[in-house]
Formats: sequence, C-alpha cells, structure tokens
Amino acid sequence: MQTSIKSRALKEFAEATATLANPAVEEWKRQGGKVVGYFCSYFPEEIATAAGFLPFRMRATGSKGTELADAYLSSINCSFTRHCFNMGLLGEYGFIDGAVCLSTCDHVRRVYDNWKWKVNTPFVHMMSLPKKVEEPQVGWYRDEMVNLKQALEKHFSVKITDDRLWEAIRLHNETRRLQRQLYELRKRQNPPITGAEALSVMVAGTAMPKQQYNLLLRELLDEISQREGNADYKARLMILGGILDDPGYIEVIEEQGGLVVTDMLCFGTKIMWKDVPEGTGDPLAALAQYYIAERPSCPRMFGDYPRRADFVRDMVREFKVDGIIGERLIFCDLWALEHYLQAKESKAGGVPYLILDREYLLAGIGQLRTRVQAFLETIRR
Amino acid sequence: MIVGGCDIGSATGKAVIMNNGTIVSYTIIPSTTKPELTARMAMDAAIEKAGLSSLGNLGYIVGTGYGRLKVPFANENISEITCHARGAQWLCPTVRTVIDIGGQDCKVTSISDSGKVLEFVMNDRCAAGTGRFFEAMARVLSCGLEGLSTLSLQGKNPAVISSQCSVFAESEVITLVNEGVDLADIVAGLHNSVAGRLNSMVGKVGLVEDVAITGGCAKNEGLVKALEAKLRVKVKRLPEDPQIVGALGAALIAREKLDKKS
Ligand code: SF4
Repeated sequence: MQTSIKSRALKEFAEATATLANPAVEEWKRQGGKVVGYFCSYFPEEIATAAGFLPFRMRATGSKGTELADAYLSSINCSFTRHCFNMGLLGEYGFIDGAVCLSTCDHVRRVYDNWKWKVNTPFVHMMSLPKKVEEPQVGWYRDEMVNLKQALEKHFSVKITDDRLWEAIRLHNETRRLQRQLYELRKRQNPPITGAEALSVMVAGTAMPKQQYNLLLRELLDEISQREGNADYKARLMILGGILDDPGYIEVIEEQGGLVVTDMLCFGTKIMWKDVPEGTGDPLAALAQYYIAERPSCPRMFGDYPRRADFVRDMVREFKVDGIIGERLIFCDLWALEHYLQAKESKAGGVPYLILDREYLLAGIGQLRTRVQAFLETIRR
Repeated sequence: MIVGGCDIGSATGKAVIMNNGTIVSYTIIPSTTKPELTARMAMDAAIEKAGLSSLGNLGYIVGTGYGRLKVPFANENISEITCHARGAQWLCPTVRTVIDIGGQDCKVTSISDSGKVLEFVMNDRCAAGTGRFFEAMARVLSCGLEGLSTLSLQGKNPAVISSQCSVFAESEVITLVNEGVDLADIVAGLHNSVAGRLNSMVGKVGLVEDVAITGGCAKNEGLVKALEAKLRVKVKRLPEDPQIVGALGAALIAREKLDKKS
C-alpha cells in the first residue's frame, strides 16, 4: 500500500496522532489557553470551544504499561482505560485543565472514579449519558449540557453565550464537512489516501484547535484530490469499532493488501457523518438533537441497532466495500454484542465479516497478520 | 509440472514437493531459530529425497505458516488457514471442518463444498491446546510426548483439570501428582481439557462433518479420541502424515498459480 504522501498537513496530523500534547497543543498552552480532556465521543466539544477552550479527546498514545493503574482497576477493565489512567497517574496529562467523563460504559466510569481521587486535574466533571435515543433522552442530554456549561462557567469564570455556541457549531460543522470531503475521495476506485493515513487525519482532529486543523485539512484535500491514488489493493474494507486511534493497526491490515476505505469508529464517521443544523434558536437543543438522535450511535445506545445496521449497509454500498473488519478491545461487552449482530447480518447479505479482539497497544502482530491475510484470501476466492 | 510448498511453523519446518498432482517427497524438520534457514533445510532435504538436483527444478513455490514471510525462495505466501483447508480437502474431499493443532497455536476452519474457507477461529496468544502445552506437560510428568498419548488412552477415571492455561494447568497437575492420583488419569484429564477447549472453538465456526485434524498434534491418538468424545462425531483419519497438510496445501496452490500463469 502506498503511504508516501509527503504533504506538510499529513505530517502534522501524523505527529499529533503519535503523541499526546502535540506542538499545536503546546502552542495553545503557551498562549495561556485551557485544554479540556474528554473520554467519549458523546462529549459536546462545541461547549468547550464556545468557552474558548481546546477540547482534547483522551487517548493513551505512547503508554508503556499499566502497572500503576492495575492497582486501582479490576482485572476485567479494558486496556484502553488501564493505559489511559496509568498515564494520568504518571502525570502525562498535566497539560489538561479539565477532564470530562461520561457514563459511556462501566469501564470508563471507573476511570472517572479514580481520576477524581488520584490525578490532580483542577476540574473533573461527569456527564450522565442517557441510554436511548428518543425525545425524552434528547431533553435529558440537554440538561446535562446545561450542567456542564454551568460547571465550566463557575470553575473557570467564563461566560458561554448562545452566540459563542452558534459560532462554535459553525466551526465544528466546517471540520465535519471537510472530513466528509476526505471520505468522499475514498469512494474513488483508486482512493488517494490510505486507511491508516485517514485515521491519523481523524485523530488529529480531536487534538488540535479546530481553526488550525481546518486550514491544514483544506490544504491536504487540495493536494490529494489531484493524486492518482491507490490501485494496488486486493479488497476494499470497512472497519467497525470504538476507540481505535492507532494508525499502525490499520497499517498492518493494509500491508496484507486490504485497503480501508471507510469505517464506523469513534475517530471516524461516527463523529462527523452529520452536521448540527445551524440556526438562531437554542443552540443546546440543536446540539442535543444532533448528539443523541442524529449521529450514527454507539452500541451503548439501546434500541438503535436497526439504524446502525442501516448505516453500515449504506456505507457498504456507497464505498463499494468487499469486507468488514470488526475490532474490539478485549473485555468490551458493548462491542462484543454489536459485532455478533452486525456480523450475522453482514454475512447474510454476502459481505464477509472478520472480528478481531485486540489490546489497546498494538501487540501480537503475527497473529493479526495471519487472520487478516486469511480473511482477504476468502474474499479473493 | 513440479511445484513445492513450504510450511514454516514455530516448532517444525515442512516441505512438500509435488509433480503433476502427486506427492513426490516431503520432509519435516525441527525449526531452527532462523526461519530462512529452516525453510532452506527443509526444502533442500525434500529436493534430495525427490531425486531432484536443485530449487531450479521447481516451477512455483508457495510459503506458508508462521514464518511464511521468511521463505526466501517462495514465489508468494498464503496464510496457513487457507493452506490447511486446501490440503485437508485434497486428501479427503468430504472434509468441511479442519482443526489444525500446531506448535504454538490452533485454528478451526470451516470450508464450503467447493473448498472455499467460510470461517475460521484462532486461539489468542496462548499455549493452551497446542504442541507447546503437551511438551510442557510431558516435561512435568517426565513421560515424553509419545508416552502422553499412550497414557491418556489408559486412563479409566480422567481427572478434572479445570484450567486451560498451560501455566496454571501445570500447577494443577503437580497438585494431582502429589495427591497420588493415577498418572494415566491425570494425562487423560489433560487431554480432555484440551479437547474441551478445541470443542468450544469448533462451536464458534459451527460443526459440519466431516472433521479432520491436521498439524503435529493430530498424531496424538489420545487427543483425537478425546476430541471425538467431546465433538460426538468420528474424526476422519487422513491418508497422509497430518503434519504436512499445510505444506501440501501450499504445494497445491502453487500448482494452481503455475497453471494460471501458463
Ligand atoms: S472500548 Fe468498550 S470497554 Fe472500553 S471504554 Fe469504550 S465501550 Fe467501554
């Protein structure tokens, strides 16, 4: 697979993805800016932006172990939460001024409990995330956003006005629009960007000021839309899963000859496939509607599986997907069930589906290679 | 049309040479620490056995197995999952489920009537139910690999070994030894526990007869019997050494590739 784009933008994205506090974050901090770390894609980034802060999605990139965190977490917590909390304990998250957790799942909930107690982030907040995606839950989530907004205003002595919120919505919509443009290019017969590169573009979007990010992304789009693209692949793949933030993982898949063309990931279509409707009324209501009811939902949402299955089916058609890879962190119950359902449905529709259990840090590459290669061989024949 | 298949596993290297659809020669050698060297040694020995003079006699070579990327003379590499399926079905066309028990991992593959791989599962980074497990147990019980198989067939009241992890199973076995439990019963219990694990892997892809076992551990009759009892079906005995099935599949695919090229 060709991974040879020499663009400045792509290099910056790759660097932001490979580190925690990348140069853009450091610059932001140098100028006195505040950073709010968040643990789940249901965090309304726009509120942080409207407060003048930089929203930063928590990762455990570069983690070397979990031994400090293991003392606090149980043996069935997923490795993402272990590594992430371990980095918190090591003080690697000293650059965040606030940490916002959501009741996404039991695993990440335990990080909140312990973070509050053991890591000295000045502002720590919990949002209670509803379990369904209907109207009452939209209202509930709006209430939670009001709580978050008030907590931020109080702690940091700032004012988050409706105007600033609408401004933030417009800015973030622009990011999402550009990201969708990138995915449009991946629909081509010869996509001009690999799946690994695209993932680093998406991860960087959660770790840089949006203005700066949008400029870079526009530059990248201009550059690659003229490229010839990758013709040398055996199959077009879609990846389904949660917090996959390591382009190295996709690289292993693509080295076997499968080109990843789209996804349903937390660093992927799940956070940008739709826009928040722009307007003048209540911005929080618009945000609540978007986050809870409009975006492709996470498997943690009950009763919304049919819509997710439709989404995957549409993706397969639009991106001409030959096979689906479902990745799951070991011990993640939500994704275990989702993959079971999606795989059954996908196979019935004639699209092969490979489920890969993984650890947060890339390990066991030999076995990963064998599985992916064998999977691609079944697609080819 | 002479072709070759070379299967570099963690414990052994295998090479098969075929000429117009029949097996001319094969070799199985212990793996060295260098996969390239293992591949070269296995293939050289097979070439000599076949009465050929050099690698140049082979029209196409496919590498497979854990070290498949390190077979220096292979024209291409194919995963061992595809190769075992191909080899097993060539030896026995009615096979629909292949259980490959190798030195460091085991895999269960289901294949369609036309030989296509439908589904597969692999055990995950763990020695349970692999050659390594049996080696470790043979060491603990100082009875040798052959002895394990023989003993397990003699067990009257197989002991219950709860742990499928080879490290924990070892301490369970030592406890049983110290309690004075009959050695044959312990060994039979070990085989049952491995068979149980394989059974659940088979459950994941869905059991369709006929079932064949490939890989070095297929030679352990005690394990085959234990597995038959768990699966409640008869396992097909293959007409060739089960350990060469991966290399055989690789040679069969090599033949196909050569056909396509000409
Ligand atoms: S990956 Fe799974 S277990 Fe980990 S935080 Fe997300 S949903 Fe929870």
